[in-house]
Amino acid sequence: MIRHRFSAEDFHRMAEAGILGEDDRVELIRGEVVELSPVGKRHMAALKRLMNALFPLQQAKKALLQVQDPLRLFPDTEPQPDLALLAYRDDFYRERVPEAKDALLVVEVAETSLDHDLQVKLPLYAQAGIPEVWVVDLVREKVHVFRKPQGEGYGEAQALEDGEVSVLGLKVPVKEVLP
Amino acid sequence: MTRHKISLEEFHRMVEAGVFPEDLRLELVEGDLVEMSPIGKRHAAKVAKLTALFGPLVPQKAILFVQSPLVVGESELYPDLALLKPRPDFYEEELPQGRDALLVVEVAESSLRYDLQVKLPLYAQAGVPEVWVVDLEGKRVLVHRKPEGGGYREAEALGPGARLSFHGVEIPAEELL
Repeated sequence: MIRHRFSAEDFHRMAEAGILGEDDRVELIRGEVVELSPVGKRHMAALKRLMNALFPLQQAKKALLQVQDPLRLFPDTEPQPDLALLAYRDDFYRERVPEAKDALLVVEVAETSLDHDLQVKLPLYAQAGIPEVWVVDLVREKVHVFRKPQGEGYGEAQALEDGEVSVLGLKVPVKEVLP
Repeated sequence: MTRHKISLEEFHRMVEAGVFPEDLRLELVEGDLVEMSPIGKRHAAKVAKLTALFGPLVPQKAILFVQSPLVVGESELYPDLALLKPRPDFYEEELPQGRDALLVVEVAESSLRYDLQVKLPLYAQAGVPEVWVVDLEGKRVLVHRKPEGGGYREAEALGPGARLSFHGVEIPAEELL
């Protein structure tokens, strides 16, 4: 039994035709349409804190912030990371879906999804060459920082409970993103 | 990771929106889109023979659907052959459903397990009264009758020498093996 796999193009055609409705929170992972689980209050708060902390980069036109929108990694894979920092563009990506090469940083907030984020999504981000990924672990109150993508993993990994993380010269205290 | 289950309605809208290439043969099996494998010459010939044998029943006693859609519950399968209750519009207005079927025949060359374990329970649940699975490798025809829940109460395996009969059409089993 061979399950049919969709391409990202199919996926968008379906969305445009209104087939995957607005109520469907879904992402495309290796050709499969996967449902995103609903997020809790802490998850939402963490994301708002991150937006707040990273916003100066957008104001300085160093990057664009994208929240829970699609990021195309491969022709058959288009997850919706909680947050992505994209290379700044004056047209705000009006003409195309942002791709891996546009991403400067991807952040996932994990309350119940830590295994999925580390085991399924992180390898995809590494393969696609996303230079840096943060996984905010709300349960253990840590921020995992991954750098230097190599194959299906990252050459550099840190788990921070305190201190600062920095991106594009901006320093963000770890405590500031943990609600 | 929860795979999104595709509903019948979504499937039909995908087809209309041109999401799939025309030559892609897909079945919707309980929310999953499954690609159908290409058919070999032995399989194709048996389907052609069955079509010819059941020809005399058409259109007074039955309508013959060959590798065409049959809606069973929330799934849409493409049985090799389905004999359906006669209808003047040949089901142009709506796709036939399990309750419209009189007999379904699946020819299994490499798909026996899939036919028996995945498709047969769906036919039973949808109330398809009789299913024949022609097992080319095992040289037998597995006849299932009296659907009950997800299975069939009556099952018999007919080998060479036995006769199959349906609405007056008599078929020696070896014709299909």
